[in-house]
Amino acid sequence: MLVSWEWLTQYVDIDLSPDDMANRFALSGLNHESTTKVGPDFVIDLEVTSNRGDCLGHIGVAREASVLLSTPLRIPAPIVSPASVDAAQTSSLIKLSNRFETGCPRYTGKVIRGVKVAPSPAWMQRRLTAIGVKPVNNIVDATNYVMFECGQPLHAFDLSKIRGSEIVVRPAEAKEKFIAIDHRTYELDPSMVVIADAERAIALGGVMGGEDSEVSESTVDLLIEAADFTPLAIRRAARKLRLHSPASYRFERRVNSEGLLWAAERCCQLIVEMAGGKATSGFVDSAPQNKTQMPEVILRKQRIIDVLGIAIPWKRSLDILSALGCVIASKNDEKATVVAPPFRLDLGREVDLIEEIARMNGYEKIPEDAVVPIFVSARRDKDVMLQRVRSVATAAGYDEALTASVVNKQASSLISPWTALPPLMTQVQLLEGATFLRRSIVPSLIQAYQNNQSQQNRDACLFETALVYLPSADSKGLPTQQNTLAWVGTGSSRDSKGMIEEIVRRVAHGQVLTTEEDYADPCVADNTGVRVLCDGRMLAWYGNVSRSVRSTLKLDQDLTFGELNLDLLQEFLLTIPRLKPIVPYPAIQRDLNFILDESVRWGSLSQVVHNSAGELLTDCIYRETYRDAEKDGEGKKRVLLSLILQSPTQTLTGQQADDVVAKVLKATKESFDAAIVA
Amino acid sequence: MSLADFTSSLDSLLVAAEKSLGLVADEAGLEELRVLYTGAKNGQLKSIQKGMGSLSSDERPAAGKKFNEVRDSVQAAIDNAAARISGGSLVGASPKSSGTKKSVPPIDPTLPGVRPRLGRLHPITQTIEDLKEIMGRLGFSATEGPEIEDTWHNFVALNIPEDHPARDPLDNFYLATAGKNASDPTALDAKLLRSQTSTVQIRAMESQKPPLRIISLGRVYRPDEADATHFPMFHQMEGLWIDTSVSMAQLKSVLRMFATSYLGGDVTIRFRPSFFPFTEPSVEVDYFWNDQWIEFGGAGMVDPNVLKAVGYDPEEMSGFAFGLGVERLCMRRYGITDIRDLFRSDVRFLRQF
Repeated sequence: MLVSWEWLTQYVDIDLSPDDMANRFALSGLNHESTTKVGPDFVIDLEVTSNRGDCLGHIGVAREASVLLSTPLRIPAPIVSPASVDAAQTSSLIKLSNRFETGCPRYTGKVIRGVKVAPSPAWMQRRLTAIGVKPVNNIVDATNYVMFECGQPLHAFDLSKIRGSEIVVRPAEAKEKFIAIDHRTYELDPSMVVIADAERAIALGGVMGGEDSEVSESTVDLLIEAADFTPLAIRRAARKLRLHSPASYRFERRVNSEGLLWAAERCCQLIVEMAGGKATSGFVDSAPQNKTQMPEVILRKQRIIDVLGIAIPWKRSLDILSALGCVIASKNDEKATVVAPPFRLDLGREVDLIEEIARMNGYEKIPEDAVVPIFVSARRDKDVMLQRVRSVATAAGYDEALTASVVNKQASSLISPWTALPPLMTQVQLLEGATFLRRSIVPSLIQAYQNNQSQQNRDACLFETALVYLPSADSKGLPTQQNTLAWVGTGSSRDSKGMIEEIVRRVAHGQVLTTEEDYADPCVADNTGVRVLCDGRMLAWYGNVSRSVRSTLKLDQDLTFGELNLDLLQEFLLTIPRLKPIVPYPAIQRDLNFILDESVRWGSLSQVVHNSAGELLTDCIYRETYRDAEKDGEGKKRVLLSLILQSPTQTLTGQQADDVVAKVLKATKESFDAAIVA
Repeated sequence: MSLADFTSSLDSLLVAAEKSLGLVADEAGLEELRVLYTGAKNGQLKSIQKGMGSLSSDERPAAGKKFNEVRDSVQAAIDNAAARISGGSLVGASPKSSGTKKSVPPIDPTLPGVRPRLGRLHPITQTIEDLKEIMGRLGFSATEGPEIEDTWHNFVALNIPEDHPARDPLDNFYLATAGKNASDPTALDAKLLRSQTSTVQIRAMESQKPPLRIISLGRVYRPDEADATHFPMFHQMEGLWIDTSVSMAQLKSVLRMFATSYLGGDVTIRFRPSFFPFTEPSVEVDYFWNDQWIEFGGAGMVDPNVLKAVGYDPEEMSGFAFGLGVERLCMRRYGITDIRDLFRSDVRFLRQF
């Protein structure tokens, strides 16, 4: 809301500089954006919150100033001078019917006959120009002036263009065409309010007037419209047609239905003063009986103290409310019955009144050293887990990325390890083409790798923890939103697996029983994809990027990637590990080099070793695999492992170790026909 | 075997080893000797070590000590031989010293160190951890909630009525639903990406009894053209304190303590009246720092309608709420001027924090 200092001070005496006043406004609810000097005048830009439609006119702002400064407010009396009153009743010249009360609760009008359209006087042009409104003529300028004076938008029709001397307020017909003042044609729909005459639409209610009923140089007779349109109807129409105007802006924030006649009368008063003519008696009014019912609100003195934490003198509290236009219907020392004025629809509850008292009394009077009792807060399991997860990922050389949760089609369809259902979608795009809620974070990180590659940032290793959105088969309730760790980096799939193992170890501090199964996906290179399962649920998956994806996305090297279900992992969180005693006796290491069929996997080999070795085996460490077809034959591989043998009660002898090795060799021979390299 | 036998076999092994290792001339020969003396399976040291098992338990410590000394000496001889063969002993290399004294090249202490390659946490994560830590000390526990929300938690319970502009389909990321009139934001089962983390406060109040001191943190979503200061996805932190008697003075005091702790110096707080559907009174909060007022975020006393929506009696319970944008704090703190940089994942950016 642009406020002209000269205009404002018509209504209130201000003993402060524009800057000081702007500062007072800012600290009492009208946020100060800027002040500009326009000729001798100052124009102050104030931000008006959506609950304060009353401050979208100079009088409303002046009322704030008068309360802040405890000075009187001067509101002009809208009286058409007796000489300019037309004896004819308005209703004898124009017929009104309202067929759309939900879109237009009240419509009023008044006729002026015999005007002379000309430029408006200098003082009015100056004020309008100062706040950025281009002067048009004395009729249009008067409607604009009154709107910026009291906040009520008005419209002037050329009475001679209203066919059948009839105004009909109705919903637009589907696909009804309408040519507006801007000479463009708009297609309407039945949620919009149309002002029509006997034959056609002549205005889009609350949004814009029609081309062929507007005031022109030759206009002599006028219909002045002052109406109350429903905010939702106006907002949808203005938004749909991209027709935002100062009028629609005000209707969207609700106008004061009881102020319609004041505004219409004031407008007529100014027009007959500037353009001559005579205003008819009375109004056409679709709802003359309408009265805004303002509730009686009980205000308690103690409640003010409870909410604000300070006491404000009771008299001062009530004085503030009176100055703002409230009626104190009754009062005693503890409470009062207060009725707010009809232009303050936002003051319907006790706490609303307390806010008014607080802001006018000054928030700077509220102390910032009140007693705040101690309260215990606790760290959540999730935070404990996340910190450990992040510390492993960063220690592994991965930098943390944050990428958008909604992705484009290509990224969405790249890979979906957690669900086979199609992705959820948003109606509005987040970024270019991004309407797919991601089911996996990996595509975003691959894209981030790509971006780094194109910037010559070599070897980017990135991780992210975020939600993935997994649709459920039925649409009841919220979809599963799984807290997930994802990573993409250089290295092999065993690096990915190592990260998973280390994370599980750091979070769970012990064995989480997992099983692995192959995971095939076009995005994952053959023989590298693995799902890690836990109680039948997928804890993690990992693999290397497939050759086809690598060439499609022009990746400069092999990448490994994977994801881990943090919600599932959190179930195994051990916040505080218990010490396992350190064994004081030395361990013996025995290396075994097996020759095995290619099909024997480490998992089963180590299982058999563990089962056969007995309790002296504390670890079975994988060392390496190599193949020598000449020595061992096709389809064979050598697997070197180390047995770590230790007893918690004695130093082991060589013989004891030999016995364990013998048992292991026997079992592996039986299970896998494993030979041992001499 | 006696301890004496054990010791003497070690001594003779060492003499033989030092002699042969002093003479060996190529890598193959060296490898052969290495296996002979120190091989893990059949090396001579290994065989002698096995004999230790037959010593008495009071002899074993001495035997172990002797064994370790000899093993180290043999290893040193192997290392020296290796260095000699590979031409590594350039300084003071002479046949005489090669067996007993290792020659090392001079160190250049100005060479760069070998640094471990550690990843970095995103500046937003670091900021959030800071905020959590400070608020934790003030008694506020962190909570989180779903990002896909229903209209009850995102709007209705927060006192945002159906005709409120904040619910406009173009100003929110409503989910597309098959079949039904997808754009109808008034549908009770409509879902959307949350536009504020206040949703979490509703969930917390629905499931817990007061007193309640929580902060909710996380991603929120609003359709905004991405530019230097806007991004359609960002992070919020919101605080909530509900108790039998909470006042605006306490709100101001908590925010002052928070800002003082975050900035590390004494800070003054200023309230400017504002409007939010879920608080009444509502204020914008500024803090005074480096001789200027800086916008902090929005705050206010929880609106009675919100308390009623979650089943609290506004006559019995009161509270305050505040919210702030994490990106703005983070950018100000680190001197980041383009919000989009936070989401580009450029490692030249990420590795600076």
